[in-house]
Amino acid sequence: MAFIKKQPEKVIEQCERKRERNCASFELQLSDPNPTARRWAARDLADCLDSSAALVAQLLREQNSSVREIILTTLTKLGDEVAVAGLVNCLRSEDAALRNEAIEAMKMLPDEVAPIMSQLLQDTDSDVRIFAVNVLESLQHEQVEEWLNEVIEHDAHVNVCATAVDLLGEVGTSYSWEALENLKARFPDEPYISFASDLALKRIRGS
Amino acid sequence: MAPITLSHEEFLKFREFFYRKTGIQFEDSKRYFVDKRLIERIEATDSGNFRNYFITLRFETSGQELQTLTNLMTVNETYFFREEYQFKCLVSSILPEITALRKKQGPIRIWSVPSSSGEEPYSIAMYLLEYWPGINLWDVEIISSDIDTKIIAQARRGIYSDRSIQHLPKNLLEKYFHYNGEGYQICDDLRQAVEFTKVNLMKPSDVRGYREFDIIFCRNLLIYFDDLSRRQAADTFYDALNPGGFLCLGHSESMSRVSSLYQVRKFSDAVIYQKSMEAQ
Amino acid sequence: MKRILIVDDAATMRMYYRSILEGAGYQVDEAINGIEAMEKSLQEFFDLYIVDVNMPKQDGYSFLSELRSRDISQNPAMMISTEASANDRMRALVSGANLYLVKPIKPDQLLTNCRLLLGEVHE
Repeated sequence: MAFIKKQPEKVIEQCERKRERNCASFELQLSDPNPTARRWAARDLADCLDSSAALVAQLLREQNSSVREIILTTLTKLGDEVAVAGLVNCLRSEDAALRNEAIEAMKMLPDEVAPIMSQLLQDTDSDVRIFAVNVLESLQHEQVEEWLNEVIEHDAHVNVCATAVDLLGEVGTSYSWEALENLKARFPDEPYISFASDLALKRIRGS
Repeated sequence: MAPITLSHEEFLKFREFFYRKTGIQFEDSKRYFVDKRLIERIEATDSGNFRNYFITLRFETSGQELQTLTNLMTVNETYFFREEYQFKCLVSSILPEITALRKKQGPIRIWSVPSSSGEEPYSIAMYLLEYWPGINLWDVEIISSDIDTKIIAQARRGIYSDRSIQHLPKNLLEKYFHYNGEGYQICDDLRQAVEFTKVNLMKPSDVRGYREFDIIFCRNLLIYFDDLSRRQAADTFYDALNPGGFLCLGHSESMSRVSSLYQVRKFSDAVIYQKSMEAQ
Repeated sequence: MKRILIVDDAATMRMYYRSILEGAGYQVDEAINGIEAMEKSLQEFFDLYIVDVNMPKQDGYSFLSELRSRDISQNPAMMISTEASANDRMRALVSGANLYLVKPIKPDQLLTNCRLLLGEVHE
């Protein structure tokens, strides 16, 4: 048999090294050439309350997706204003992966994102409005249905409305009835809008 | 009071939501099974109807109710050789690939999390001894961790009920266990083969020392975590694995709901996740 | 029967495509993002992929490039997005899409393009 055991000493050695470090050195380490060091720095910064700015800055230039994922996890754990603003900024990125990562992180921060939601839903960029509706999925806020209704009643862009109506199939109540009917009337030539509105209406009636 | 029922639309709504969160998809034929459990939870939470319950389920920040429901919808039992197809995959595909590509010296390292009462790590050890000829050529280290120190103590003792050993082939039961009046006592050789440790996956200081693993088994754990914890666990495993290392999840679990760090690999017996060979 | 995999995170959108495609006699399977699509592609055969660009965990571009570069499937793929810029279109084609459509999609548009990619129409 060749089963062996030799584990604990490594842990101790690592713990001792940890004691010598602090938030400032973690922030420096975020730009270390070694991705493993950057991942650990991003992980350790979860205990450093003022580190969101440094994390956001690194997020925007970070090329390694594994480091990005951990930076986003830490930003989600910190969830302060700087973190949220940084994530919003990512929604405007040309990089599809980064945009989607930011949406996911924002979905995990419902309370922090809620205050800026109506502003995002008014953004001039229709893609940003679509992403904002995506984020709404996770929000427990008394206004969610109202916001969605606002979108399907007034947003001129069919794809923004399409995203909103998809979500109404899950969260809609009889309150959305009229807005859904109006939406169908606004886009009579869009089969997807009819399909999704009818589905949402059916769900609302059926529950 | 009228009994609680679910309309067809409510069933569809729930099915979509549950699929999005867990990756588990219920066929129409499962309607009775799903309704029964949902109604059980609607009653237990005093929600009154599906609509109120669904709001709790979707929006509760702690994710507690979703975890409870997931528990009900999945069977979470631990016993020897559970999900054996993965152990088959381990000896027939994973270990041969690891040993063929291995450049450096040193043991093959396997981490089994959570250890629970030890059935999984001991199954791995037994499987290697029985079905992997490479055990004569390679050193193997099996480390198994859990957050619960009581369960770890139980794992170290290694005494099991009829239920735990029911799927073991008879010859293996005779070879590795003896009945001691209290239960089936696993033999000392196997007890020596596994190192049990206490670990909280959510604590960076706990997991920092866990590195250079070739294979991690983390089955039927992530499905009970909330989104953020799940993702943190996947991140942790990433740094615990060697480049090219493998991560085995439970049969109803999928990385598609957790993290984009891993590559999906298909072997003849199972779908396994891998940290890229080029990963740094 | 030809098998089509729909990869989109929006449930209603998947149902919409499904109803159109099943109505035309195709067999349909669904995935919520690129990773799940990869899991399915490794275990099953699809004649055609319909892939949304924006999805959590793994977006459409990255899924298609992985599908192609690991040679898991070279079968035709249609990429669907809300973005109409030449840059997005080019990225889709570079990542391995055979066709790029901008939302919203009408049923006959979807079907015509599926038939085209599946080699079922001859002009």
